[in-house]
Amino acid sequence: MWPDGFGLSLPPAGRALIIAAVVAVALVAALPPANVGRTTLLTWGVVAIVAMTAIASVPTIDLAILVALAVAVLQAAAAGRRSFAARLRAPALAVGLLAIGVVFARIQGPPILARFAAVALVAGLGAAVGTLPFIHEFDPDERTATSPIPWLVFVGPALVIAVVSRADELVPSAGAAFGAMLIGLGLLNIVWGSVASWGTENGAAAWHYSFMADWGLALCGFGLAVGDGQRAAVLVLFGILLNRLPLYLWSRQALREKLLNDRPFNLLAAAMLAGAAPFAGFAARVLLLRGATEVYWPLALVIGLGLLLWLAPSLRLGRSLGMPRGRQALGVGIALALSVAIGVYPQPILALAGL
Amino acid sequence: MTGAAAFTAWLAASVIVLSDGRRGLALGLALMAVAFAPLAWIGGGWPAATAVLAGGAVAAIQRLRSGTDGWGLMPAGSTSRLILVIAAGVLALWIAVSVTSGPSASIRFAAPAVIGLMGARMLTAHDPAALMTAVAGMALAIATAAGLAAAAPGLAPYLVAALIAAGVSALRVSEARVA
Repeated sequence: MWPDGFGLSLPPAGRALIIAAVVAVALVAALPPANVGRTTLLTWGVVAIVAMTAIASVPTIDLAILVALAVAVLQAAAAGRRSFAARLRAPALAVGLLAIGVVFARIQGPPILARFAAVALVAGLGAAVGTLPFIHEFDPDERTATSPIPWLVFVGPALVIAVVSRADELVPSAGAAFGAMLIGLGLLNIVWGSVASWGTENGAAAWHYSFMADWGLALCGFGLAVGDGQRAAVLVLFGILLNRLPLYLWSRQALREKLLNDRPFNLLAAAMLAGAAPFAGFAARVLLLRGATEVYWPLALVIGLGLLLWLAPSLRLGRSLGMPRGRQALGVGIALALSVAIGVYPQPILALAGL
Repeated sequence: MTGAAAFTAWLAASVIVLSDGRRGLALGLALMAVAFAPLAWIGGGWPAATAVLAGGAVAAIQRLRSGTDGWGLMPAGSTSRLILVIAAGVLALWIAVSVTSGPSASIRFAAPAVIGLMGARMLTAHDPAALMTAVAGMALAIATAAGLAAAAPGLAPYLVAALIAAGVSALRVSEARVA
């Protein structure tokens, strides 16, 4: 029996994401990108999964924020190309905003205080994940483990789940404002992430922006506060972990060597990244549009228009994979197969997430 | 007693914001540990107070052993920092006394003031010693804020915050890593 305040419990959505993270790390470690050690990948992957599990399983939001603070310091203290201050700044801002949000949510006062709490919580989540307008400083040549990518892929999802699942108890009177701000932030990132991913000159930066665009969809889904929205958000996060992250890692060498390719393999990867049928992204998008229609149909129209922006950057990202050979080709094939399996039959994933 | 502790917590955060030297930063952390201990007692009893005091004390001692020499209190060009600490204190006092109501007014003042000031320090500092001190202060403030929860938070947040405060102060970020 744990002492008071130390009990751990893993909510279904957190559990599902951790399983996805384990699969993603196992896939990348089993089929590592060129010039990257399997042990290094496995070590950083296990650290990321432990951090995710800790944030998702602690009993209170205070502990989740404290764990995120510890993770931020440990990641910043590891050797990297950016300065220590630059690496710590954005996660520290996130922790500060979330902590202020929680304080405002807990004290008695006028109704406006609950709205300020909601603003701080949403801003804190944006800063933690690294979405617009809190984009983490990104160095294309930095190794992935010490870059902002782990916040987009591992820590961010766990923290978002931890806050969103407690939103009803934290800001019960400002739930609508909380959801509306998540949707607003989501739409902003759908547009900005897609356009920037298409327009930026650097290939690695294009991938970074594409993670943000995916996060736009997830934030919209969480903000809708209906079942379909939550399901869409979970599927998007699965896509980030199982598809986008491995493809990003496998594209790094081709990006360095500036090897672009337009083979059918690259087009298939582009279709997966764009959320075309029958891949997982398509199921997520259908659920998101259905949820948005249920809440407010013009919103579905706006999201639908935003989804069109995915095509051009996805083609670019698909080309940036170069010509995968050997174990990388096998890895891309497995990622494609996983995406098709989830897209065709997402029910087991959703059931695992308690949805 | 708790009112004085809350004021001391703001003062400690102000010292951390206004100092660049290891002695100033260590003094800020030590003051913060002394100030947050009685506030932690409200939420978690004497074990929580002991954890916060011990964590803060270890962090302060560790801080004395690394960082820029001297006190570094209010170096040239720190007028903006001085304005920040005064504005943060006034704003937090206004929120705690006029805007909000209910129990634990001292935590309502100290927690947002310290979290805000430590956040500002982290956003503006470049020196790892100042950044780590701000992280330690932020961790202690977050744990103290757990005392505002409707349900008793237990010992966990205080213990975790104490471990973070002590741990980050012992962590060394080499110049090669900073570059």
